[in-house]
Amino acid sequence: MLPQSNPIASPARRGFLKGGMALAGALCIPLPALASRTVDSGPHGTHEITDWIWIEPNGKITLGLSQCECGQGVYTGMPQVLADELDADWQQVAVTFVTGRDAYRTGAAYEEPQQFVGASMSATLFYQRLRVAGAQAREVLVMTAAKRLQVRPGQCYTEKGRVYHGATGRSFSYGELAEEAAKLPLNPTPRLKNEAAHQLIGKDLQRLDTPAKVDGSAEFGIDVKVPGMLYGALKFAPTVTGKVTGLRNAEAVKAMPGVQAVVQAPDAAIVVATSYWLAKKGADALELEVDPGPSRSLDSDQILAARQAALGAPEAVVATQLGDPDAVLAAGGKLVEADYHTPYIVHATMESVNATVHVREDAIEVWGPIQGQDFVRNALGKLYQRKPETIIVHTTFLGGSFGRKFLPDFVVHAARASAAVGKPVKVIRSREDDIRHGFYRPGVSGRFRAVLDDKGLPRAMHARLTGQSLYGVIKAERMAKNGGWDETMLEAIYDCVYRVPNLKVDMIDVKQPIPVSFMRSVGSTSSIFMLESFVNEMADAAGMDPYRYRRALLAHNPLALRVLDAAAKAANWDRKPAPGVSRGFTFNLYTGRGEAFQTYVAMALELERSGKAFRVRRVVCAVECGRAINPNLIRANIEGGIGFALTNTLKSEITFKAGVVQQSNFHDYPLLQLAEMPKIDVVIVPSDRPPQGCGEVSLGPVAPAVAHALYLATKARRRSMPMKLEA
Amino acid sequence: MDFVLNGKATRFDGDGDTPLLWVIRDDAGLTGTKYGCGIGACGACTVHVDGNAQRSCVTPVSSVAGRKVTTIEGLSPDRSSKVQQAWIAKDVPQCGYCQSGMVMAVTALLKQNPHPTDKEIDASVSNLCRCATYHRIREAVHAAAK
Repeated sequence: MLPQSNPIASPARRGFLKGGMALAGALCIPLPALASRTVDSGPHGTHEITDWIWIEPNGKITLGLSQCECGQGVYTGMPQVLADELDADWQQVAVTFVTGRDAYRTGAAYEEPQQFVGASMSATLFYQRLRVAGAQAREVLVMTAAKRLQVRPGQCYTEKGRVYHGATGRSFSYGELAEEAAKLPLNPTPRLKNEAAHQLIGKDLQRLDTPAKVDGSAEFGIDVKVPGMLYGALKFAPTVTGKVTGLRNAEAVKAMPGVQAVVQAPDAAIVVATSYWLAKKGADALELEVDPGPSRSLDSDQILAARQAALGAPEAVVATQLGDPDAVLAAGGKLVEADYHTPYIVHATMESVNATVHVREDAIEVWGPIQGQDFVRNALGKLYQRKPETIIVHTTFLGGSFGRKFLPDFVVHAARASAAVGKPVKVIRSREDDIRHGFYRPGVSGRFRAVLDDKGLPRAMHARLTGQSLYGVIKAERMAKNGGWDETMLEAIYDCVYRVPNLKVDMIDVKQPIPVSFMRSVGSTSSIFMLESFVNEMADAAGMDPYRYRRALLAHNPLALRVLDAAAKAANWDRKPAPGVSRGFTFNLYTGRGEAFQTYVAMALELERSGKAFRVRRVVCAVECGRAINPNLIRANIEGGIGFALTNTLKSEITFKAGVVQQSNFHDYPLLQLAEMPKIDVVIVPSDRPPQGCGEVSLGPVAPAVAHALYLATKARRRSMPMKLEA
Repeated sequence: MDFVLNGKATRFDGDGDTPLLWVIRDDAGLTGTKYGCGIGACGACTVHVDGNAQRSCVTPVSSVAGRKVTTIEGLSPDRSSKVQQAWIAKDVPQCGYCQSGMVMAVTALLKQNPHPTDKEIDASVSNLCRCATYHRIREAVHAAAK
């Protein structure tokens, strides 16, 4: 039996992988060979070779996927690594989501290993682990064949799912060897292929999940069907901290067509019915008694005012201090100063959060778009006093996540509904509630001051960021231990790669009762907007081109220079832009959580005037993300990241009034449209480094590039997001 | 209330105000058509009604009585339509959630305008994609129009 697998519609047998992996940094759990396994012949005669590989007698190979597929491409990229070391026939592999074993868990050293996706870490954390698993399986298959042929394993080679004896050409398919191979012990340190010998890794393979995603057969959480299932719709207390204290008309709602139950949860009531539409009608008719909670007086103007006041506060928590920035700034000289602001924003995944749960006496079963399988187990285990191993999680495809489906809140709603009615229940959050009752990326304000030297380069810089600290909410203990500053708020600033001899970076946590969480690129969608905008303002003050200014500030970092030059070259930066076109140039050194990886990005963006408005017409993005496992997937991540960031830059803003989110759907929380999407050219800079993350790296540089191109076209600075493409 | 769904006679006995989307998904069990917004703003629920693209989340089922409804499952038996083939060739989807609606919208567009220009594509395709696969969607529309 596969470990809690959920077979999906069979995809076409083509594909490629994506790029590089960083060997896990010091903070990551080491990657043991994880030789533990249960030898198990499944009902269809499937033989488990490792925690990741199952082979049927007919030669069909099923590869396990521990990481959820939310669009980033792991459904292709991770099997690509396994299949390469295994020497499987790529046309003969299928992929299945797996869960519930230690082999699928990862974590920073200060945390329990968990099965989850986050922080663009899958390639980095799993590259070596999957190579080892593939090589272990290949070894036992070769040993089995050699024994049968009465030759030495060293005389055999493998190719496309067969073991051959070199001298005679006699061969066995993996399917013929699997049953016996599954009984052999695994070598914890198998010989890995020389990277030059890789057949699949590095190839521009197409995605394995594409065919199922163009014919409607790919199963997302919202599509799950379980026998006897009911449907649930929610009625939330309106404020972001609201509690339901009573139900005014539960009996009347229970009498509505199809309605089976009305379940009170702390933050919402759930109407359970025989179809989603009938449940929704019931939820719309339900009237709640509520306690609005601490957000009752929450207002966006006040949030901004508090952040702005903190910008000028005498004391702040210092994250970085190099040299004597206070003295150099006080001594004066050519001073550059600017304040920047970003709003709260929300994930708005196309598939709103939903889950199907069956709470039974013997087990709890969950089906859904789950980004953190172990987070779900822990949450339900705590709520119902169950052992995590009795909680079975079936992962479907995720209709977008961007960090949202990492949280188990929506699974808990479905569990409460199921526990109340004793049947499986699928609870779907409406778009309105998905936007009004989300977990938001905090808005941040920043004040940057610098004194420039004779050459126009910064002698000293002070960056102060203020706002609701994400880690102050979700990792308060760790943040306190770490000196009280939040690395997510100060991303790319506290560890500023630019050469600034006297540097101070500090912050103030302006606490708010707003639910916050990780959202694609986390704090860097604010911090890089500010840092890169300020670098451009310093370049302007120095009378220097933004590309050359960055070259001067990064002269100590040859890899950064290589990436800057690659973008400039691909964008023909040294050629004057066409009439009506202005350009922005930005850079991003993206550091993964716990410094597990570093990816370099440089971006050149073209803005074109059309009448009184502008449009972003082209973006060139150079990226160095280590060895490219699958360039096709890297390009897709970069392209999509740029489009996602254009939505942030031009459109996204969540505002609060008396604790209630003022936006509710795509008419007032709009997304980028096809007509607004620029042409994108991605340059993947060749690299010998192990694979690094690429899913979040292209977002940060977009807004400051747009802002600077707009400034050059209009002579007005854009220091707040979202910004309008108008003169 | 009777209508034809992917060539099959279909009956729905519930409230005529029920959005076609939920009839397709929960009653007919065809889940390729997606819920995205419920207000006709995102297009994830796009189906064809008598060959024209329509957003099924704001289409009362009563309005399709006697008409022919086609969903992504009915577009081709083997993903062989030229739009699906172009989507595969360009490897368009990321999360994939909006793509059923995209494929349906573009299929209807190409029926009316077999060779759209970029400007015409801009003006016609208002479906939303949060992964922003638009760059490849545009390429795939042109490839399908060849």
